[in-house]
Amino acid sequence: MFELNEFILKKAKELGFGDVVILTYETNRRQVRFANNEITVAKHWHERKVELFVELEKRIAGTTITELSEENIERTLKMLLGNMKGMSPKEDYYGIAEGPFEYKDIPETFDKAIVELDEPNEYVERAINAALEQGAKRVAGVLYTDHDKVYLTTSNGIEAFDEGTGIEISVRAFIGDLESGHGTNSVRVLKKFDPESAGRKAGEIASLAKNPEQGPEGRFDVVFDPLAFANLLGYMSFMTSAYAVEAGFSPFVNKLGQKVANEVVIIKDVGNLPNGYGSRKFDDEGVPTRKTTIIENGTFKTFLLNTSLARKYKTETTANAGLIMPRAWNIVLEPGEYSREELFGEVKRGIYITNVWYTRFQNYVTGDFSTIPRDGIFLIEDGNLKPIRNIRVSDNLLGILSRIEAMGRESFHIHWWEVRTPVTTPYVLVKDVGITRATK
Amino acid sequence: MHELVEFAVEKALELGADYAEARFEEKNGTSLAMKNGSPEGLEVLADRGIGVRVLVGGGMGFASTNVLTKESVAEGVKRAVKLAKAASRVRNEPIRFSEENFHEVYYEVKMRKDFRDVSPEEKLELLRKIEEEVKATGVNVPMRYLSYSDQVWHKIIANSDGAFIESIIPRVSIMYNLVVFENSQMEQAPFVQRAFSGGLELIEKDEPWEWAVKDVQALKKLIYEGKKPPEGKVDLVISPEVAGIAVHESVGHPYEADRIFGREAAQAGESFVKPDMLGERIGSEVVTVIDDPTIPNSWGFYLYDDEGVKARPRYLIRDGIITEFLTNREYAYKLGQHSNAAARAINYNREPIVRMANTYLAPGDHSFEELIEDVKLGVYMVSFNEWNIDDRRYQQRYIGREAYLIENGEIKHPVRRPILEITTRALWSSVDAVGKEVAFYPGTCGKGEPGQGVPVWMGGAHARLRDIPLRRP
Repeated sequence: MFELNEFILKKAKELGFGDVVILTYETNRRQVRFANNEITVAKHWHERKVELFVELEKRIAGTTITELSEENIERTLKMLLGNMKGMSPKEDYYGIAEGPFEYKDIPETFDKAIVELDEPNEYVERAINAALEQGAKRVAGVLYTDHDKVYLTTSNGIEAFDEGTGIEISVRAFIGDLESGHGTNSVRVLKKFDPESAGRKAGEIASLAKNPEQGPEGRFDVVFDPLAFANLLGYMSFMTSAYAVEAGFSPFVNKLGQKVANEVVIIKDVGNLPNGYGSRKFDDEGVPTRKTTIIENGTFKTFLLNTSLARKYKTETTANAGLIMPRAWNIVLEPGEYSREELFGEVKRGIYITNVWYTRFQNYVTGDFSTIPRDGIFLIEDGNLKPIRNIRVSDNLLGILSRIEAMGRESFHIHWWEVRTPVTTPYVLVKDVGITRATK
Repeated sequence: MHELVEFAVEKALELGADYAEARFEEKNGTSLAMKNGSPEGLEVLADRGIGVRVLVGGGMGFASTNVLTKESVAEGVKRAVKLAKAASRVRNEPIRFSEENFHEVYYEVKMRKDFRDVSPEEKLELLRKIEEEVKATGVNVPMRYLSYSDQVWHKIIANSDGAFIESIIPRVSIMYNLVVFENSQMEQAPFVQRAFSGGLELIEKDEPWEWAVKDVQALKKLIYEGKKPPEGKVDLVISPEVAGIAVHESVGHPYEADRIFGREAAQAGESFVKPDMLGERIGSEVVTVIDDPTIPNSWGFYLYDDEGVKARPRYLIRDGIITEFLTNREYAYKLGQHSNAAARAINYNREPIVRMANTYLAPGDHSFEELIEDVKLGVYMVSFNEWNIDDRRYQQRYIGREAYLIENGEIKHPVRRPILEITTRALWSSVDAVGKEVAFYPGTCGKGEPGQGVPVWMGGAHARLRDIPLRRP
């Protein structure tokens, strides 16, 4: 594939382009979806594509090429050139990274056993059975296997390659209409894959959630399950991108160096996280990925940046390109010191939320939002869990970060349909969380 | 491409498929963005590929590729058949499809002003116009994100039951996010979109800059003149925009047959609606909700769905009674019905699943003045920002962006963030009058795994809701 990249680069330079970035992907992805304890569909995707970024005197353009003949590549480059010549420049464009760089292998991101896995249905059956054994009646979910190759070539002398694998499962178990639980497991190497743990957790929560009563409203201390807190941190990760801040989609605007969370809070983006579902050796302009502390002891330290935005703000890239929009790889909330039991023990009367979905903002700049707990929700009273239903978390994102009181010492890596940027988080206790409900 | 699509279907049958369907899709277009007055660059979309879906022994398999050679497509077909066979062993009952009448059809949406003939710089002028008009209001808008997108969708669908449908549908849209900062307060109009199927003339006629101007002026007025909304039981008049999101979330989604039967349980969720609720009352007699893919130039437009079934308007609620679910062939068979053509896939690499198109609250017989004039104390909710609903589609909430107090039949000052948090049954049972005029608003409906954001319109007429427990933030 590097020959293809070299060809595109050569032709682009001949036409007079300045910065050129060529990312060629070859992906093989499988999916097994299931519901009502049976497989609803099994899928396979095979894709080969070139993502091309070009610059011409501060005018920038991007496209994807899937028809990889020399004629089509030349036609595409000429089409881009023709379109860009009359365009206004992007005045705040400051270029791409200058290599070369050295790249290190990230442990536990490739496993030949996943590439060679013939049929993953057995794992689905194991997850379904684990949930049924906990008392579930209906089990639904999805399993994926991934095998990706990426080849990067840039006009600044960078050539980089990465190959990764992954296998993951998301399981939701139901007893009745209102009683459900959810569990996930996402790993990069087969020997760490534990589909039963996802099924078991989903089944356990569903069983605990039997006969829920209408929940209360007001302000409550809330224990967020990793699945639930990962959702909020996933939204937060988008808001830490410098692009989102400039575009008016972030409460972190003007917050550099300021307190945005309780002192116990340390949040990082880790692009080279071993066994992380979002890990890759380099970003989209070839900078080796690394650990970036976004929030340190409650203080906002940096936005996520690519080279152009970093130069604009006179700082260094955080290796999060996206050539247009920097993005997080794996968000990590550093764990605390509490065991799960100790964390729940801190709550005299509160709520345990096992999962949320449909997080929406009234105002991205102030951070006002609500999200809907789903699956088991429990009133915590004197150490007992009492199932409740039909409540909503109505609060403010910075408020939630500021009221984090304690965190569990064990972390969980979460990646599923509602958490698209992988997040590693422990159980989190937040004080005085706003809870509302429908009253008619 | 016709040959490759036919080849895929034939190959699947040859390999033992009981049913086979192949769909070629090609999307070409451009998108442009402008952030705080500065152009962000050009994105050229050029994507195409083939997806193949088969039934073997009651199991379903799907494979796609963007390598458009006979060898690669044959490999994909082989994989789909193998996956379906393996899936059939983990099924309690086989998947079957409803019987349908299929056609061989070509259709195309014509553009009067073809955006393919317009340079990126001219398209950027549309965004500049928004910038200039917003600036001319004198309102302080420190954060402005504007984007333009056009795409031509070319599809060829063939199946082993005789469908052969080719279509060309151009789509054009503009989106803005505007943050108003006045009097030390921040208010926002996020992700506001104007969108159509057709040519650039539709955007020019719609004048999105006028919408943007209205939005920033309303937000400024809200900052300076906004008061707390009334609390407790009051009347609420909702605009077509708010009625649109409410019918989409609490009528369209729960009536999707795949949700009702649990297929989306682990993702978008199930539904409070059960198959035996057909014929049951869910709203007052003035409530009729229609989903219609065939509305010309609509954002959710199509004439044949992605299983090749001919589209028609679907009456989800008629005079307050649940009358119809949204179906594809799999769930129509389970219901003993014909499909009402709700199967949509966002691209060649996605399976068709049950989706909405253009969902709206059908018009009634009240003028807007009549809706307002006998409200003693209430709120008129014009637009919303935050909204969400539980995954059974029963407990929802919409928070007003632009909203006004209604007192003794008159619209008064703006009110800040009135919150409608209510159950689906209570919402539609509270409607006592519906307006005469219908308007539509575009959105991207999310569902499916991997996600399939499909273009939809949402809208309808104004509606008056009595005795609503309104909340404040």
